[in-house]
Amino acid sequence: MSELVLQQPKIKSRAMKELNAVATIAARDITLFFKSPGMIIMSLAMPLLMMGMLGGSLAQNMAAGLGFNYGKFMLVGMLVNMLFMSTTSGISSLVEDHFTDFTQEMMISPVSRYSIVIGKIIGSSFGAIVSLIGTLVVGLVMGITLPVSQILAVLALSPLMCLSAGALAMIVIGLIKSNKMANLAVMLITMPQMFLSGAIIPINNSSGVLFVISRLMPMTYCLDLVRAVVYAGTPEYDSVVLFNPAVTLVAIIAITVVCLMIGTLFFARSEKNK
Amino acid sequence: MSSIITVNELVKQYEKAKEPSVKGVSFHVNEGEFFAFLGPNGAGKTTTISILTTTLSKTSGSVTIAGYDVEKDAQHVRDKVGIIFQQPSLDPQLSAEENIRFHACLYGMYGYRPTFKMMPAEYRNRVMELAEIVGIEHALFQPIKKLSGGMQRKLEIIRSLIHTPKILFLDEPTQGLDAVSRRSLWEYIDNVRKQNGTTVFLTTHYIDEAENVDKVCIINHGEIAITGSPDEMKSSLLKQELVVDAQDKDGLIREITNMGLSYHVDGHIIVPYQDRTAQDIIARLETKLTVLKIQEPSLEDAYVEYLMRTGGGAA
Repeated sequence: MSELVLQQPKIKSRAMKELNAVATIAARDITLFFKSPGMIIMSLAMPLLMMGMLGGSLAQNMAAGLGFNYGKFMLVGMLVNMLFMSTTSGISSLVEDHFTDFTQEMMISPVSRYSIVIGKIIGSSFGAIVSLIGTLVVGLVMGITLPVSQILAVLALSPLMCLSAGALAMIVIGLIKSNKMANLAVMLITMPQMFLSGAIIPINNSSGVLFVISRLMPMTYCLDLVRAVVYAGTPEYDSVVLFNPAVTLVAIIAITVVCLMIGTLFFARSEKNK
Repeated sequence: MSSIITVNELVKQYEKAKEPSVKGVSFHVNEGEFFAFLGPNGAGKTTTISILTTTLSKTSGSVTIAGYDVEKDAQHVRDKVGIIFQQPSLDPQLSAEENIRFHACLYGMYGYRPTFKMMPAEYRNRVMELAEIVGIEHALFQPIKKLSGGMQRKLEIIRSLIHTPKILFLDEPTQGLDAVSRRSLWEYIDNVRKQNGTTVFLTTHYIDEAENVDKVCIINHGEIAITGSPDEMKSSLLKQELVVDAQDKDGLIREITNMGLSYHVDGHIIVPYQDRTAQDIIARLETKLTVLKIQEPSLEDAYVEYLMRTGGGAA
């Protein structure tokens, strides 16, 4: 039996411990992404399906008479949509973690529940960024491009988009205990947002219930902010951007914080309250 | 010695359950103590341990760990404890080392690095040392799903010890381990206790593993049946037995009867005694003995007897 050496944590400050925990949890999801060829293929196939087929079909059949370039409108919508879809899908792996009891390993650790959730969202965002790049490549093949400066602006905003998507997903996923339900939940969260938030169909003329729902969806504001950046200074700005960007940013932050708090509470309670 | 775990009137009733799984349990564990929490399947051991380690909420009662309330100061409690879960809680898609690294970094032992080679030498040495102790050094970089159940158990043990917790909860830690690995694990845990003063809270179905603990608490049907040291439990419940035999068996039985002792024959003559010593009995026997043995009851004997006294084993 070898001599035991007493180990003490090398990280002393609470804040650094939490940051390290976020990085560790995020890094696990990124490691799993690279270890799963299926996830890599899906991340690249989704843009082909969504942008290439769905977007392509819409562009050919309903783009006329909009008063702006539908291809660019749709590309921006699809970029944000892919961030939302992939992050939500990544968050759903929490259900599998619960199934394999790995959530216990995280729940017993001396870190804030917020760090666990944020780490998970950041980790899930990695696949989302791969999908975003895939969407840009498919757009390029279709002849729809954005200037490099605008791509960089979208990339700069993507962490906020992913955090917003992940926080919303946590509210639902945190309560689910089966893989089958998780898959349904991903559809339930992403599909209405894709169609009602203005990702591929303009919502300037929405009214009634659909109008109310669209205003409650975080993706509506995320999309609008990205479009405000991409279309800034162009003649189409007023046709495609719905809100004042400053108001939009505040709305995104407020919705994200509220969703994060509720989602974390639900996640922690569902693990603990049995 | 001060109390490091205090449980008062703890009750846990699961949602949709008709009655509580844990019914007003109270006990305490002193700092540095080796404490065994024993009971049959379904007695409430894992429920209690889950509440103590903050992974399950209680229905009522109070629980403090190292002075911190498990509900109000859960994060402080988690800082102090380590646990080997009854159910494996490893990520099957990561390698063994990646699982350990995840744990070590989550506990702030080291800053996260994306590869084993990039981790500090101290971490690498410690992982190799622990892997050697439980014999999984050759499987350290293999995916978990390729490891046997026993190997996975060993890995969980390494993982729980990497952050040297103040209180170590072991929920059936040696389940699925071979005899050599079990012995090696207990040697290591003994070493951890001696050098760090770690409090160990053990649940096990191998009652012999609890023979050397400081205190035993038996739970049955969600209630505490008894708490005490293994010796106290054995002596308070069970009669010791003298096993004797002689060529003149009838003469020996006559002498035993004349002393007012009861006996039964099961191959040899078995004489239970409680209020006198074996020395006293042997000294008064004149028949020449061919067999002489003092039978000490084991903790398992005491455990089974307590379960029988408290309504048999739980379901």
